Amino acid sequence: MVGISVKRSKSLLIEQYIAKLERGEALLDDSSQNLVEVVGILKSYGVVLDAYSINLCYIANTQFLKLFPLFKYFNGQINPNKVAKFVWHDRLNYEYAEYCMKAMFWHGGGGLDTYLDTPEFAAETERLVKAYFKYNPLMLALHKAFKDFLPEQMRQMAYYSALGQFWRVMSDIFLNLSDSYDRGEIKSIPDVVKFILDGLVADATRPITYTVEVRGQEFDIIPKAAGLTFLADTAVPYVEAIFFRGTPFTGTVSYNAQAYEIPYDPGMFNYGALYADPLPIGGAGIPPTLLMQDMRHFLPDYLRQLYQHQSIRGTGDIRVQICESFQKSMFCVTTAAVKGLAPYPLDTQNSEQQAANRKYLKGWLNRILESQLVKVNSQIQTELKPV
Amino acid sequence: MMLSALILIPLLGAVIIGLVPLKGKSPRNIAIVTAISVLAISLILGSQFDLQQPGLQFAENIPWIEWIGLNYHLGVDGLSFPLVLLNSLLTLIAIFSTSTTIARPRLYYAMLLLLSSGAAGAFLAQDLLLFFLFYELEIVPLYFLIAIWGGAKRGYAAMKFLLYTALSGILVLASFLGLVWLTEASSFDYLSLRSHTLPLNAQLLLLAPLLVGIFIKIPIFPFHTWLPDAHVEASTPISVLLAGVLLKLGTYALLRFGVGLFFDGWVYLAPWLAILASVSALYGASCAIAQKDMKKVVAYSSIAHMAYILLAATATTRLSMTAAVFQMVSHGLISAFLFLLVGMVYKKTGSRDVDVLRGLLNPEKGLPVTGGLMILGVMASSGLPGMVGFISEFLVFRGSFPIFPIPTLLCLVGTGLTAVYFLLVINKVFFGRLTEGLTQIPPVKWKEHAPAFVLLLLIIAFGIKPDWVTHWSELQAITLLTNG
Repeated sequence: MVGISVKRSKSLLIEQYIAKLERGEALLDDSSQNLVEVVGILKSYGVVLDAYSINLCYIANTQFLKLFPLFKYFNGQINPNKVAKFVWHDRLNYEYAEYCMKAMFWHGGGGLDTYLDTPEFAAETERLVKAYFKYNPLMLALHKAFKDFLPEQMRQMAYYSALGQFWRVMSDIFLNLSDSYDRGEIKSIPDVVKFILDGLVADATRPITYTVEVRGQEFDIIPKAAGLTFLADTAVPYVEAIFFRGTPFTGTVSYNAQAYEIPYDPGMFNYGALYADPLPIGGAGIPPTLLMQDMRHFLPDYLRQLYQHQSIRGTGDIRVQICESFQKSMFCVTTAAVKGLAPYPLDTQNSEQQAANRKYLKGWLNRILESQLVKVNSQIQTELKPV
Repeated sequence: MMLSALILIPLLGAVIIGLVPLKGKSPRNIAIVTAISVLAISLILGSQFDLQQPGLQFAENIPWIEWIGLNYHLGVDGLSFPLVLLNSLLTLIAIFSTSTTIARPRLYYAMLLLLSSGAAGAFLAQDLLLFFLFYELEIVPLYFLIAIWGGAKRGYAAMKFLLYTALSGILVLASFLGLVWLTEASSFDYLSLRSHTLPLNAQLLLLAPLLVGIFIKIPIFPFHTWLPDAHVEASTPISVLLAGVLLKLGTYALLRFGVGLFFDGWVYLAPWLAILASVSALYGASCAIAQKDMKKVVAYSSIAHMAYILLAATATTRLSMTAAVFQMVSHGLISAFLFLLVGMVYKKTGSRDVDVLRGLLNPEKGLPVTGGLMILGVMASSGLPGMVGFISEFLVFRGSFPIFPIPTLLCLVGTGLTAVYFLLVINKVFFGRLTEGLTQIPPVKWKEHAPAFVLLLLIIAFGIKPDWVTHWSELQAITLLTNG
């Protein structure tokens, strides 16, 4: 009986959220506090993503096939001052970007994953390895002995590059969103979603390519001819890997398989950003702490003031508060992705299109409603004065 | 007059705070100044103390009510000085750990200083009747401190404490009166009574009520039931003093009077007392495992750890007697430290229930520093090397094992159980996900933790350099065992 009632309440909830999306609203409830949190956090996230993106592309373009890329986080600017800052940890945590890259790499999906298993990629990588280690017979011999090692490294580099290019676009979208908000053009959560959706659509077909150079010779690891594009081959796999499946947030909760806490079907197992529990953030060994730490440096004043006032600890628990805001912002990005990938416009009046849309939305919502969304929307929020 | 100052200054402070209509923070400030003065005098006393002299030092002897044999005879030796210093330090720490917004501050601080004065007097008294007066004097302020500023069942706990400790006082007094009567002494002077040697039967007759009285005070199983209630209902500063100082009055009396006055009787009963010590240690540890209230865990832990002092005292070797004094200091510091931290958890979360509290080590929203200190406290209490608990327990077991191997081994099991019950608490309260209802815990300011850090410093310092404590009591141990 309990199981039936849970199923009923979930299907009721799905109906409510479908109606909400069809009305043009977002998954996240619209409130002035949510708006301030989402725009503010996306501004700092935009700054951080910009830096991550630059570093990921730097690593992909210059550190490929290096077995010990010791200075990969320095973007080529190695001097005693930067080394001292690095050692003192006065820096951005580029490791977080790598966690995300690895999450995408492991989970795969999309055209990029498929392309990296093609003979074209293998042939181009082989050419690259031979050119790169032209004067290094030892490495060439090792490559012959362990022929999968270096191609695998280049597959990883392809993900470095793809994620760098993806975040380049997202960073610009988030920073432009913040500018629009500052100009008074963004007044609600649906406005935020629309802005992100427009940005995604505008760059949807932007090609994803990856070319490296060895002694003046170029190698198209991901050529334009591969037909990889921003939305389908980076954005969607990113959402799947980071928002739903996750790795950066793993480690925060232990699962007991014998207590059936892990679904029988691994495909049903979700622990991405949307599912994460923000409370453990700040603890040692919790990777998202790195992202929250980085965003902490670039918070707009209005968001810092909000954090100062809404917690009994002021900014003492700022990383948890940032994570909570970040999660809200990711629900907006997810809404934009869901809307962008819908078979028909969600406000269509055509009943057949509506049915197709509803089937599509049910698939998403079955997964999304398991996340922190319902909890976030059930929190009582203080109404803020318009900024 | 330095010894009198240790009693009179807090007494004077209590009178001023109690009678002068002070407002605002004045009562607290006067209490702090008084406690600092007393601590300073104790330290000066320590600097002038002659470690090579085993007998009484700085003695003051003024005839008081001669017709009943009562003299104002004070003195300090290697047995009492560490406890006098502990009393001075913990009084100051108790004042600092008291909330600045406590209700009825004048009465509170006056009682606190009166308590300190009574405890100092008891440690310094060299007259049995004078000791009894101070022994009783500290009961009154402590009763009020529990009954007025305690928890929900404070009335019950305070009355229970009063009844038990009053009975303890009566039994101790009965023993003292019997001693004077049987020895036909003209006064209650400790040194002159020590020079008399009674037959074994007479010693046993007098030792029995004295031991029961003292066992209530320490407390030793099965006379312990007042202690968990008193601790649970007492506020944090009072628990600090109760565990750190007032229980030590019992163990001090055990060594000073039980061993010092009735040595033959003590040696006769020692094997049975050693068994009782091991039973008490195991009982305290077992009860601690079953508790859900953090404060009760520490309280039952106290029962277990105080039993080690009895065990050491029964062995009556130089090492074991030194160990008994060391264990008093060690337990005073560690239990006070743990009660401060449990008090901090309660102050911030409103709960001490190990089934409610979770994940308090959360670095952003929990109490990470409190949790870190608690782990160090547990390490100290469990006898991990590098901390005072290791040295004291090692000395106790090393000193008592050759004489009473089986009770010592049983107590060793008890010390193993210390790690069990404290780790259970640590695991439940500080690890895991923070309880949903505790996500808005107010932060702990560094100055709130200052008293705990002072105690931690001493716990580590005496763990690394134990002779800072043992050199006070080594010679005194011989004096106690050889009748001077």
